Amino acid sequence: MAAPIPGARSAIRAVAWALASAGLAYAVQPYAQRSDLEMIHLLVIVLIALRFSLRDTLIACTVSTVSFDFLFVPPHFAFALTDAKNALVFIAMFVVATVISTLVERMRRQEQRARAAAFQAEALYGLNVELAGLTDARQLAAVTVRHLERLFDARAVVLMRTPDGAFDGADPRDVEPAERAWMRREYTRVDAPGAKSIWLPIAGIRAPLGVVGLMPPESFAKESEQGFLLVACVNQLATATERVLLTNAVHRTELETETERLRNSLLSAVSHDLKTPLATMIAAATTLLRRHATLDRETVEALLADIVGEGERLNELILNLLSITRLESPTILLRRLPQALDEVVAEAVLRFEKRGESPSVRVNIDADLPLVSAEPLLLQQLLSNLLENGARHAGGEAVLEIRATAGPGSVTVQVADNGPGIPEQERDKVFEKFYRAAGSRDGGVGLGLTICRAIVQAHGGKIAARGRPGGGALIEFSLPAMAETPLLPEPSPPAEAVNA
Amino acid sequence: MTRPLVLVVEDDTVMRRVLTVALRSNGYDVRSTDSGRGALREIETNTPDMVLLDLGLPDIDGFEVTAGIRRERELPIIVLSARDEEHHQIRAFDDGVNDYVTKPFREGELMARIRAALRRPIAISERREIRCGDVHVDVSQRRVFVGGAEVALTATEFKVLHLLAQSQGRVVTHSQILRAVWGPSQAYEVQYLRVYMRQLRQKIEEDASQPRRLLTALGVGYRLVPADGD
Repeated sequence: MAAPIPGARSAIRAVAWALASAGLAYAVQPYAQRSDLEMIHLLVIVLIALRFSLRDTLIACTVSTVSFDFLFVPPHFAFALTDAKNALVFIAMFVVATVISTLVERMRRQEQRARAAAFQAEALYGLNVELAGLTDARQLAAVTVRHLERLFDARAVVLMRTPDGAFDGADPRDVEPAERAWMRREYTRVDAPGAKSIWLPIAGIRAPLGVVGLMPPESFAKESEQGFLLVACVNQLATATERVLLTNAVHRTELETETERLRNSLLSAVSHDLKTPLATMIAAATTLLRRHATLDRETVEALLADIVGEGERLNELILNLLSITRLESPTILLRRLPQALDEVVAEAVLRFEKRGESPSVRVNIDADLPLVSAEPLLLQQLLSNLLENGARHAGGEAVLEIRATAGPGSVTVQVADNGPGIPEQERDKVFEKFYRAAGSRDGGVGLGLTICRAIVQAHGGKIAARGRPGGGALIEFSLPAMAETPLLPEPSPPAEAVNA
Repeated sequence: MTRPLVLVVEDDTVMRRVLTVALRSNGYDVRSTDSGRGALREIETNTPDMVLLDLGLPDIDGFEVTAGIRRERELPIIVLSARDEEHHQIRAFDDGVNDYVTKPFREGELMARIRAALRRPIAISERREIRCGDVHVDVSQRRVFVGGAEVALTATEFKVLHLLAQSQGRVVTHSQILRAVWGPSQAYEVQYLRVYMRQLRQKIEEDASQPRRLLTALGVGYRLVPADGD
């Protein structure tokens, strides 16, 4: 039934109650006193006041009073207020009805408000909990959109402002209103027919971080309950986003500081270590230049040997610096080749021994070592550094040993010396940048083993420092082995004269 | 006997002077130039016996100079370069340079490489026997002797060793070996080669883990040198 007046249905129901009670009273009239009838009248008024609105209650009260007057107040079946007592009773009825109805209505409104508040609190709490766990601004936006769409049952968007002043991933039709809200920095309602939307800036410390848009079927004001909920949600998003941005900024700063610190120590170590051999070379060469006529042959040869030796040290250092720069770049691309470790070891040892005054190296390699996939020169550098390191720490009487064995799926190489060894508690630290053994007297930036580790790790292997049984240090690394390679077939038709 | 003429192509003045001094004191005549075009002109007019070539030149780079020289003649070229990456070396060897010496180098090593490069190239059809230190390859009978004792090689091992002996002292790249012995289709299967090299070393070296004759140019190729020579 279409109600011509809003709330007519409830008024009719209230009136029906009143009439029914009058009918009841009429039915029991023969067995009751007049005061009993008035009690029924009062009871019905109270019941109506508890259930219906003030307006309906007053209408029903009027109907009820008139019908009681008509039925029970003499003269019967006539509308007349003959005595003052009856009039007083009727007025009391109205007062009671009004008071009860008003109280009930107030309670009802409070309860409704409490329920709305609880709903909002729950909604905000849910959003808050989810946002608190996130560390990425995009995820924050996505979660907020999901919550808004559920709470308001409407399309929602979160558009973050990029540094170049655009909205990240915005639908073209959203840009114009978003831009307007961002400029106004306020709750902005767009009431175009068929396209109602509400836009709010996401407040940031300096400027808004972005804009939230909601497209509800019915627009609502900022001061409405829905408006309040929307603003609260957006504020939570703003706080969470600000937190994420700050955390990221702190991380970046920490990283930059750390990079800066490393760069500084690298620079000072490098300039020291580059200059020391250079200084020796220049000093030796200038001495030779000015005094060669008066120096004896042995001294001349010693000075010349120093120049060569220092030059080679400089070269090693430069190679290491180049490698570490390359290995530390995030986009390093290794030029890998199938590599036989016996060949690399042999090359490294050959070069090492060519350097003169180097200790001899004992080599012990398993006969059927599988190949590894590696960049050859880096592998050679790895072994050279380990030999160099061993020779430096073992001093004059150094005996170095390289042992290579095949393990399950990997190849393990050990380089051992007979020096003082590495104390157990320092064995992890030797691979750190600029680490130098306590009491180590001579040069080396403390990069050699760092590069070894970087090379091994770049090839997917492991490296560790150990003690050598019987004294001395032992560095062990292992690299993943390549799958077994079958022999090439013997070339079938005996190829004639080999023309290279 | 006339002194061999070496052309030094190097744009660094000091390095050019040091090389000139070193070569003269080792019994070579020297001419030098600081540019790639200058090098091509020198080769035209003075017909040197070999070229020491820097790769990084101001006008045209060493690879172009190599190509220019190879169009005209067969004289030995040794590259002197600070670039040590394998792909530069491979390219240089594939372009036909005889050797590749990375800077910095020791004088002794450079002179050894120059001597090796200046040895008369081996005319393949004529040579029945090739000697490289104590390794003796009897081509006609397909027999190999090391220090006078015969070593039994498989047919493939013999081909590989023969190829390296023909280019002795010079690096032969992986792909050159693979192409020459197995044919063009195998040119990129480098890992197979390692296995043969290991076998070959076990037969011709005293200690295969510390080879003195069959040396490795890491990532580039192999080189047969006289044991304990130079």
